[in-house]
This record gives sequence, structure tokens and C-alpha cells, in this order.
Amino acid sequence: MILVENLVKKYGAFTAVDDVSLEVAPGEIHGFLGPNGAGKTTTIRIIAGLLKPTSGRVLIDGQDLATSAEAAKASLGFIPDRPFIYEKLTAGEFLRFHGGLYGMDGDGIGHRLAEVLELFELTRWEGELVESFSHGMKQRLVMCAAFLHRPRAVLVDEPMVGLDPRGARLIKQVFRHMSARGVAILMSTHTLEVAQEMCDRISIIQRGRIIARGTVEDLRRLAGGADEQLTPVFLKLTGGAGLQEIDEDL
Amino acid sequence: MTGQPFPYLLLPTFWSARNRARRREPGDSARMMLFGGIGVGVAAAIFAVVFWLTWQLDYYEELGDYLIRLGLSWLFLTFLSFLSFSGIVTALSTFFLSEDLRLLVAAPVAPARLFYSCFAKTVAQASWMVATFMGPVLLAVGLARCAGPLYYVAGLSSLLPFVVIPVALGSMVTLLLVNVFPARRARDVLMLMGLLFAVSLVVMLRFLRPERLLDVQTLPDVTAFFATLQSPVTPLLPSFWAGETVFSGLQGGVDWLHAGALWTTALAFTVIARAAFGRYYFSGWSKAQEARKARFTRLRALDTLAHSLPVRPLGRSLLLKDLKVFLRDTTQWSQLLLLLALVLVYLYNFRVLDLERIPYMGAMVKNVYAFVNLAMASFVMSAVAVRFVFPAVSAEGPAFWIIRSAPVPMRSFLWSKFWTGLVPILVLSEALTVVSNRFLGADPFLRVLGAVAIFFMTFALVGLATGMGAQHPRFNAENTTQVAGSYGGIAFMVLAVLYILAMIALLAWPSSLYLWHRFREDPVPALDRAWMVLCGLLAIGLSAATFWAPMQKGIRSLEEMG
Repeated sequence: MILVENLVKKYGAFTAVDDVSLEVAPGEIHGFLGPNGAGKTTTIRIIAGLLKPTSGRVLIDGQDLATSAEAAKASLGFIPDRPFIYEKLTAGEFLRFHGGLYGMDGDGIGHRLAEVLELFELTRWEGELVESFSHGMKQRLVMCAAFLHRPRAVLVDEPMVGLDPRGARLIKQVFRHMSARGVAILMSTHTLEVAQEMCDRISIIQRGRIIARGTVEDLRRLAGGADEQLTPVFLKLTGGAGLQEIDEDL
Repeated sequence: MTGQPFPYLLLPTFWSARNRARRREPGDSARMMLFGGIGVGVAAAIFAVVFWLTWQLDYYEELGDYLIRLGLSWLFLTFLSFLSFSGIVTALSTFFLSEDLRLLVAAPVAPARLFYSCFAKTVAQASWMVATFMGPVLLAVGLARCAGPLYYVAGLSSLLPFVVIPVALGSMVTLLLVNVFPARRARDVLMLMGLLFAVSLVVMLRFLRPERLLDVQTLPDVTAFFATLQSPVTPLLPSFWAGETVFSGLQGGVDWLHAGALWTTALAFTVIARAAFGRYYFSGWSKAQEARKARFTRLRALDTLAHSLPVRPLGRSLLLKDLKVFLRDTTQWSQLLLLLALVLVYLYNFRVLDLERIPYMGAMVKNVYAFVNLAMASFVMSAVAVRFVFPAVSAEGPAFWIIRSAPVPMRSFLWSKFWTGLVPILVLSEALTVVSNRFLGADPFLRVLGAVAIFFMTFALVGLATGMGAQHPRFNAENTTQVAGSYGGIAFMVLAVLYILAMIALLAWPSSLYLWHRFREDPVPALDRAWMVLCGLLAIGLSAATFWAPMQKGIRSLEEMG
């Protein structure tokens, strides 16, 4: 559903994304992990069509993002790390506007809008201005928008930032539900517990390159440890094992 | 930290200014030169006028002295009212809405230090324009009267307490307002009050009909005239004290009484403000942080209107979003009030313009004025376009990801911005041209030409503004005024002025040829006719290029973004 081939993004002499390839199948939740500045957000933003790659190819549902951008984007939902939305629109107006961008119009959108608002527990806020929302509510509203047009693939950049435990649990449930209905989800996160709990496969990126890929089991084997938790495996693979020792010393 | 004096809290402001100066963006030098040049030009003009006036008044001995004294008091009185209002608005921002306050209020900073640092910022921000204007005025008066050093000492030492008094008072009014309304609502109220203040000032000044002063027959007698001027200058106001202190410096003396009144009042007001803020600041600050349920208008009529338009769902969505965001932002729509006032004043000028006083030339002057009118209407349109259309793409701000990640061709997005801007500006510019030409009594041929020309010019200028706005977006700008004043905005204005001048030249010359032959009741010769057609075609071609090329470049620029 999401196919990324040999993606490269350079800023002058600096290579932010270096020959990244990945594939997310329908119904798969694919975790995208890496330390700060490793190139996760850049990769996600390229797949979302927000950044132009230096080279490489992105296909969404078989549509090339470079040559058929509109068709590719029509199958995609995007949830950015920071939920910037039009502050002077109400939640309902924002979702109607968003639906309009994806060609949704008329009476059909009203029913779907009620569904997603219900799903993300925002029904009673439908008529309120976005500027009065908390960060977590804005994040949930962005998720409503991302799922509104029934995308076949969803990109999520740091989904749990600013969410309370109840909101986080809700998001996990929604993602599982969507994945069971065949939606491919590529999720970048720093919350390793979330990745371990939810992802079918994980790719670890460091200094712009994919350094490991597979299920949690695969990664554990690759790191050569028998730990049950993903954190030590991640630290070992990304060269941050020393940090854990410092943490233990402290 | 608690031991640091209050100027320590101002360091980030200085450092930020220093870093901004060091890290220049493209076009900063051009902008600095342009605005710096305008500033120096204005200061030089003020200096020259005041110097000349003071020099002339020197011939009238006692009457001259009296007029200078009166003039100083009036000048200080005008600034006193300006500073009082400016103090209220600035204090709202520096004491309650500034981004760095969360850090400072959470830090172990003594309330007195926080107050003095915020107050210093308020005084500086509210009064820099007054100080900049007063500089050349006081210097010109001093030099024209060959004043001694005491005058300059008096001028400088009066300025500080003079600005502190109204700003302290304004800050206390703000403190009261914030304790009554939430800060963000108070900002809207103030913004509206400020604009209404400006609008009424503009309209009042115009409707006083200052041109009557040029008509000797209508001048009142001198005594009544000065009696009217003198009445509002009350000895109880700081403006009077400042005027008297400066005037006595001009005479070579020192007016201890009024200088003392100024300084003691300024100190007393600062102490009172400090006490008031000590008592009520935290409750006001706390209220400013509360996320009150936002009040707004639903604008359902817009939904109905948009659904009745024959546009695609995408275009309808973009139009509705843009209109609702614009109409719910007080800082945006309220500026339309000022625009409306200026348009009224503009049309009123044509209504009272008495060209019949020039006996034989009346008709010709009217026709020349028709082109001046076309140029003026186009300049007004450019100013409106740079303020409302040029920032249209930048106004998407950090939320632009929504459009960019959606299956929306940038072409459709930019054309939607174009049409949204075009319709109201076309209505405004056509109304302005048609009505003013009617008031003017211009030749029917020129009235039709003006209406047709402004139609093409509106397309061209709105296309230029939309396209250039897409080529030079500033998504991180804090407000649209900042976008309009950016490098791209200035480049737009320069190109717009060049385009308008070229259009006026291309239209005025063939029109004058036609009117000349018609006046003489001659048939227009074939060669002149050919020139007229060529000029017309050139005008259409220039308008089409000015409209089309920037739009295409803008679309390409948006497509290649990132």
C-alpha cells in the first residue's frame, strides 16, 4: 500500500534521508523508530507530499506521488506531530472543509462526520472554535480529519504527543480497528512501548539510513539480547547503550 | 535571580534585536533603505516646515512668541491623547499577552522587577513614534530661534516624564480591563476602539473642510480664531506643563514649577501603577490564561451563499474556509472600517472639488482629473491588494500542511485565492471609479473608459498580488501586516506602481487625441486612429501579462515547495 524506494533527501551537503526503502502492506502497522534528528519526520513528510525528495520514488496504492500526486494523496491520511489547524473554524467546519478537499460534499459528509467525531469522542465539541481546544483535542481532531475520507493508508508522526492516557488508549484502539479493516499505517514514534505493543513490523532509522527492520522478535535477535523490552534493543542498535548505563548509575 | 535588577529582564529583548540585525534575510537591505529613506524624508520635511514656520513667526514678536507657545501646547496635547491610547494597547501586549511572560511569571522574579521591566517596554514601545516625531520639531524650533543649551536640556528632560504619565495611566486602564474581560477579548475590544478612534479622526478632519481656510472670505476674525484654539489647552494637563517648560527653555529660562509638576506627577503615577499592579496583576494574568469558551458568529448565511454558487466542492470548501477565517479574526475585518472611511473621504473630496472656479479650463481639468482619479483608484486598489490579497497564501500559516497533503492541485488552490480576492476588490474599484467620475462630471467617454480600464487593471493587480504572494510566502509571520511589509510585499508595490503609470500613459495619450479631435469637431486621422488602437492593444497585453505571468510563477513556486 505504501512503497518507498531508494529515497534520498539532501539539504546542501547534509543528507537527511539516505537511500531509504520500505513497504507497508494493507492492514499492517509499521513502526518507524530512530533517535532525534535521524530522518523520521523528513521521510514521513516526503511520503505525505510535503517535501520534495532529492531522488527516489514513493507509491501510495500504486500511484506515484511524483507523477500522480492527487491520486496518491487521495488514498492517504496524514497526522502530523504538531496539530496546526485553522483556529477560527469550528471542529465541524474544519472537518467539512477537509472533506471538501478530498471531494466529499453534500449530505454524505454529515453522516461520516458524526461517525468520526463519535469515534474520537469529540461530538460535543463539534460547534466550538478550534482555538479553544487543548493540544490533545486538536490532535484528536486532526485524526478525525485523517480518517474522514476513509484512506487506504495513514501516516502518523508521533501520535501520542500531548494525549492523556485515555486518549492514548483510544488512539491505539482506533489504529488497531483501522488496520483490521485493511488500512496500512506507517507510524513514527519515540514511545517504544507503543511500538512494541502495536506494530507488526518496525524499521529503525539512524543518520538517514535504515539500520534494522523486522518484527520485535527479529530486532531482538539482531541486537543479540534476550530482553523482553524494546528499549534496550533500540539503544543497542542505535549506539545509545551507554545512556542506559548512565541512567542506571544515576 | 531575585537579586538581579530589572534591566536584566530586558536583556532578551536587546539580544533578539541584535540577532535579528545580524541575521539578515534576503531583501532586508532594500527594505531598510526604503523605509529608512522614507523615515529620513519625513523627518527632513517636518524639520523644514517647522523651521520655516518658526522663522516666519519671528517677525511678529509677541504674537509670534504667543503662537509658538500655543503651538507647543497643542503639539503636546495631541501626543498626550495618542500616548494614552497607545499605552493601553501596548500594555495589554507587554503585561499580559507577551510569549515570554510564562517563563518570567513562573521564575522567582520579584513582582516589582517584573513590573518595572514590563513598564519600561511599554513606555518604549508606546512612545518611540512620538519621540521620533518630536525630535525634528524641537530641533527645528531651537535652531530657528537660535536657542541656548537650556532649551535642549528642557526639551529632553520633559520628554521622559511626559510619556511616562499617559503610559502609566493607560497601563492601569488595561489592568482594570483585563480584570473585567479575558485578555484576548479585551484585545479585540481595544483593537476595535483604536480603529474607530482612527476612523473618526480621519473623517472628522476631512469633514472640517480645511480647504475653507484658503478662502479668505470665510475666515473668521483673528480674535475668535485664537480664542477657539486656546480653549482646550488646560493648565491641568501634562501637555501644558511640557509646553511651558520647553517654551521657557526657548526664552533662556527655567520653569521649575511646570518641570517639577511633570516629574513629580510621572513619579507618582509610576508608584501608583506599581502598587496597582502589585495588587491586581496576578488575578488579571491568571484570567488571561483561562481558556474561556470562544464566542463567535456562525455565519450560516455564508454556507447558504457558497452552496448557491456554481463552483466545484473543492472551490466551495476553500472559499468558505477563507471567508470564515477572515470574518472571525477581528484584527483582519476591522481594518475594513478604516478602508471604508478612507473611501468615503476619497469620494467626498470629489464631491466638494470646485473646478468651476477655473473658468475656461474647467472641462479640460476635469478630464485630466479623470486620469488622476484612475491612478488614485488603482493605488488604493494596490494598497488593498498588498494588505489583503498578497498575504492570502501566507495566511495559511503552519496549517498549510492540510492543503499540501490533500489531493488538491496547487493550481486550484491559488486560483481559489485569486477569485476570493478579485470579487470584492473589483466591486470596490469599479464603485470608486464610476462614482468619483460621476461626482467629477468627467466626459461620458472617459467615464466608460475608466470603468473598462479599472476592470482590466483589477484583474492584473489582483493576479500580481496573488502570484507574488505565492512566490514569497511567509508562513511563520505573526500577522498579515508583517507579510505585507516583507520583501515580496514591497516588490509587489513597486511593480504595481510601475504598471499603473504605464497604463495611465497608454490610456491618457490616445484619449487626449480623441477628445482633442472631437472638441474641434474634426474626424480622427487614420494614423492617430492606428496609434489609439495600438495603445489600447498594448494596455490589454500589459494587463494580461501582469495578471497571467505571476499567477503561473506562483503556481510553479507552490508546486516546487520543499
